[in-house]
Amino acid sequence: MTIMETRKHGDAADGMVGGRFSRLDGKLKTTGGATYALEQPVKNLVHAVLVQSTIAAGRVVAVDAGKAKAAPGVLSVFTPEDDLGLLVASDWFGNRPDNQPFHPLPREVSFNGQAIAAVVAETLEQATEAAKLVKVSYEETQPVTGLDDPNAGEGRLVDMLSVGWGDAEAAYAAADIRIEAEYRTPREYHVPIEPHGLTVKWEGDFLTVWEPSQWTHGMARTYAEWFNIPADNVRIVSPFIGGGFGSKAMGYTYSAVAAAAARKLGRPVKLAVTRPQTFTAYGGRAATRQTIRIGATKDGVLQAIVHRGASETSVLADFPEQTGAATPLLYAVPNLSTQHRLVPVNTVTPGALRAPGKNPSAFGLESAIEELSYAIGMDPLELRLRNYADHDYQSGKPWSTRQLREALTVGAEVFGWSKRSHEPRSMRDGRQLVGWGIGCGTFPVLKAASEALIRILGDGSVEVVSGAIDMGQGTYTILAQTAAEVLGVPAEQVDVKLGDSSLPGATVAGGSMLAGAITGAVHKAATAARDELIGLALNDSNSPFRDTGANTLVIADGRISVPRGEGPSLTLAELMSAIGRDRIETQRNTLPEGANGPEDHKRSWTTMANIEGPTAGDLSMHSWCAHFVEVKVDEDFGTVRVSRVVSAFDCGRIYNPKLAESQWRGGIIMGIGQALLEEGLIDERFGRVINNNMGDYLVPTNADIPHIQVISVGIPDHDASVLGGKGVGEVGIVGVAPAIANAVFHATGKRVRDLPITLEKLI
Amino acid sequence: MTRTIHLSLDINGKQHELDVEPRVTLLDALRESLALTGTKKGCDQGQCGACTCHVDGKRVLSCLTLAAQVEGRQITTIEGIAAEGGDLHPVQAAFIENDAFQCGYCTPGQIMSAVACIREGHAGSEEEIREYMSGNLCRCGAYNSIVAAVREAAEMAATGVAAKDKAEVA
Amino acid sequence: MRDFSYFRAASTEEASRATLDAGAMLLAGGTTLLDLAKCGVTEPDTLVDITHLAGLGDMTVDANGATIGALAKMGEVADHPGVKAAFPAVAQSLSLAASAQLRNMATIGGNLLQRTRCSYFREPGVFPACNKRNPGSGCSAIGGVTRNHAVLGTSRACIAVNPGDLAVALVAFDAYVEMGRRRVAIEDFYMLPGETPDWETVLKKGEIITGIAIPASPAAKNSTYLKVRDRQSYEFAAASAAVGIEFEADGKTVRDIRVALGGVATRPWRARAVEQSLIGTVLNVEAVEKASRLSVEGAVSHGGNRYKIELAPRVVARAILTMGGLA
Repeated sequence: MTIMETRKHGDAADGMVGGRFSRLDGKLKTTGGATYALEQPVKNLVHAVLVQSTIAAGRVVAVDAGKAKAAPGVLSVFTPEDDLGLLVASDWFGNRPDNQPFHPLPREVSFNGQAIAAVVAETLEQATEAAKLVKVSYEETQPVTGLDDPNAGEGRLVDMLSVGWGDAEAAYAAADIRIEAEYRTPREYHVPIEPHGLTVKWEGDFLTVWEPSQWTHGMARTYAEWFNIPADNVRIVSPFIGGGFGSKAMGYTYSAVAAAAARKLGRPVKLAVTRPQTFTAYGGRAATRQTIRIGATKDGVLQAIVHRGASETSVLADFPEQTGAATPLLYAVPNLSTQHRLVPVNTVTPGALRAPGKNPSAFGLESAIEELSYAIGMDPLELRLRNYADHDYQSGKPWSTRQLREALTVGAEVFGWSKRSHEPRSMRDGRQLVGWGIGCGTFPVLKAASEALIRILGDGSVEVVSGAIDMGQGTYTILAQTAAEVLGVPAEQVDVKLGDSSLPGATVAGGSMLAGAITGAVHKAATAARDELIGLALNDSNSPFRDTGANTLVIADGRISVPRGEGPSLTLAELMSAIGRDRIETQRNTLPEGANGPEDHKRSWTTMANIEGPTAGDLSMHSWCAHFVEVKVDEDFGTVRVSRVVSAFDCGRIYNPKLAESQWRGGIIMGIGQALLEEGLIDERFGRVINNNMGDYLVPTNADIPHIQVISVGIPDHDASVLGGKGVGEVGIVGVAPAIANAVFHATGKRVRDLPITLEKLI
Repeated sequence: MTRTIHLSLDINGKQHELDVEPRVTLLDALRESLALTGTKKGCDQGQCGACTCHVDGKRVLSCLTLAAQVEGRQITTIEGIAAEGGDLHPVQAAFIENDAFQCGYCTPGQIMSAVACIREGHAGSEEEIREYMSGNLCRCGAYNSIVAAVREAAEMAATGVAAKDKAEVA
Repeated sequence: MRDFSYFRAASTEEASRATLDAGAMLLAGGTTLLDLAKCGVTEPDTLVDITHLAGLGDMTVDANGATIGALAKMGEVADHPGVKAAFPAVAQSLSLAASAQLRNMATIGGNLLQRTRCSYFREPGVFPACNKRNPGSGCSAIGGVTRNHAVLGTSRACIAVNPGDLAVALVAFDAYVEMGRRRVAIEDFYMLPGETPDWETVLKKGEIITGIAIPASPAAKNSTYLKVRDRQSYEFAAASAAVGIEFEADGKTVRDIRVALGGVATRPWRARAVEQSLIGTVLNVEAVEKASRLSVEGAVSHGGNRYKIELAPRVVARAILTMGGLA
């Protein structure tokens, strides 16, 4: 057993854990050598293009594919008439109805933009053009187009999301200071720069799928179930993913269509979802609305929070965007009640988009807290610190680590918060109004098991192998660092192979849980490899260490030697050569003993059923952050530009600050987009998102983004993960939008409670 | 009936022969016919910049350029900017050093745009870099690092830290 | 894109002849044409590539003004020192448009012919009703999401906004569009939609834009282009204004003023009423704000675009005040 001393993060430039090591995959990505799903050289390939519905509700009466079929190069047109012979697959938690047929091209239309046909042709151009020739006749029914549709109703209460303690209504009614407001967020979309799509190839009953995947094992299971073939017959290959943000963790209907078409045609199929189609080929963040009532004493002590929220979902499935997810966690409050409702409308089923639940929830709560600060006349930083939660009021458990106070105080100091004047409209820069705002964020620590293989090769190099993925978070890099540290070799000597469901199992790259899970597995496997190597070095008859009398050895800087002693010092390659080994392989997982059989593996790698929530143990574990934002508002035009951001994070120990800082900034920038630009515009006559492209659904450009200063105030949290880290990827966006809304209020005196804060809301 | 035409394209200093329909874009020709997949398709509508390459030294969007239009022009893609020996272009090196990407999908377009931005003389200040790099969207949000990388590479080019590199950048 | 044949015209005359064929279209920068061909809005049978024609990309700027060949790229014109000096608003309108890549591709002639960004226009497979695409079929935008639609110059047949920036500056400074021997004032080049929104310009079949001419003027030399939008860059205008002012020898009385609006109208919009009310006056904030409100006389809201009626005069006012040294 090797005991690793935890180093303070953020101060090293080397390849050990905590070092600012440059991305392992940097050269591939900067030279065009990184190969994404639609770039696999597959011979004899044909191209599939989707046809999406142009009505939001009703039924396909007929599909006239005659012209399309007659078009040059067209091989086949798939329509609702075709039984593709598929079965419904499990949900994320492994639940599956028995033998239920799955029709990815359905006859019943439940949203505008639903895939209802697909054209396959020899070339992309032929398939694209022929898809326009498919004529569909519908029988339309009246759609419900959104939360505000009079026919949408109040929705259904989701009991399991109700949280409460004390008597919130009574305490609110009795409070000296009361505020109440409704907050809304629109449909938002992931917009990864790599659009979705896949290349599929059958060899007999074996299926290879090149598809961007946040979860190779989970998606492999889905394909196996769709086609009713053994799980081992499916291989998902996804070494690089061009951005996911939650949207690439499952197979979608078009995935099934492509695979079924490939099987029917006996040729590999490539299906590229077009950018406009991506807006309805899978779901973005659901639109939400929430009403928050806060009662407090005159000196700013919270008495009650009453929260009532709702999100839209599709008529096909439930996906709650939990507006109450952050509400119980951020502040000390003796009485609280939150409830969430789900409102089915004619939309694609919404999905997980960076910090699902926590994000809109924090928009409501963190806006409301600043509204309270103005109602009381107290600085919003002081109000937050006054109501600091010393433990988790929801679970009653102590925090594992919670450096949110440090995030607030350090962030405030770096930002210069003390120079703020509290009155709205009191700060100016020439013609522009200046506003400062705060938003806090939180995201739970989710724990999952994973597996990894370590190979020490004859030349002394090391391989880390896992089916886990890297969509830009830096998995390749931090795994090289983890293995390098345990094995005492430079990180440059470590190669990492990821993104393939035929490799050892790993949990989903979602919920900010992968880094903690997979570094734990790599740490364990590497430790076992190290122990095995040292054992061989001490005991092998050809080892120069055999007669040193040492009972252990150290490996550092790629050399193995006797601790504190005179004696041999060999490179790993020299030792491997001496003992006549061309490799040492160890495969380990982090499942508990006694629950480590094939069924446990299947359940852990291919479903989310075994994932532990933040309060599964004796502690309550979360990442935390505090954002300080400055905006400049041109009041004549209503334009808001973010001019300064300082954000302080508690994500525990940081394995690679260079990469973590990038991820935090990425979350903040997505939050700036959410606050100021992003909104799916729905034409209520047709239930269709009409800004379904990147020229009309605006995400921030380089010019929209100021320098963003990010600070780590975390401390290692070994309850959260083996190496002491908490989640990094999701928390960065949480709290950004309310910080901006609060800054806009401070600048202008106008409180915008519905995102995005576009210019017409301010002029 | 599908009409194809024969094209001879000068890409990264090499002639490539191909038979394609006139409607095939430079982007699809690169990715589907020539196995030059470093140039990325992000929107196919001129709205994201992922497909940026150079035609006669100028940055353009290959998704809105027909392959047939650029016959006789010099086309440069991300695969063609490193030195012959494999040494990275200073902009590529600066992108890695500054962690100017995450998922890597917009990166070839960013780099092609950055090389041109510096060459055009539009990398004089951070504000100017931001504006002149705004045609390349990055959803991972690497903008701060992209600006730092462009600035660093531009300064290297201006001060001639490496004469060889300078020749490539400027 | 629908399959088409492609050829390179050897001369302007050959290109002109070729476009007499129904279904033939000229291909220059391609940034509008190929985009719309992918959307299925344009379905040419033949593309006549004119990008290789010599001479059509030349630019000269002298004391009389600027002549700019139709094939000059937006980026080249934006960076041209002569244009920047004599026509700042023109150069700015170009450098604030699109992205550096698109500006390297798009030509001046093509830019004048860019089509609307109306979402309903751009999705023919979803919204068959569009009078601009398919005369007499109706307008899907009216009654829909109209945040980016026009408030000026609309008709019951069409409310699509003209998305141009350059054309707004050109309209302000009385530029001409040259089509071989024919020369048309740019304001007359663009047509109001009326009942025939499919007919956007006076360009006739077989005619080719060969260049533009911008007469020099003190107002053009002292000019600015102000563009307001949600995003800081790479976006069409929510509202924009080209403004140029010539002062009398006293340095404060307005001798000549030009005002044109973009992003709010069905064509580049000259605001003569604003100009008339300020000529001969000494600028002050109140008078400028009052005069600027004349820029949206007759504006009609369709719901989501109501804010433009408020925004446009503010953009005009700011641009005037900036040039008057009062902002």
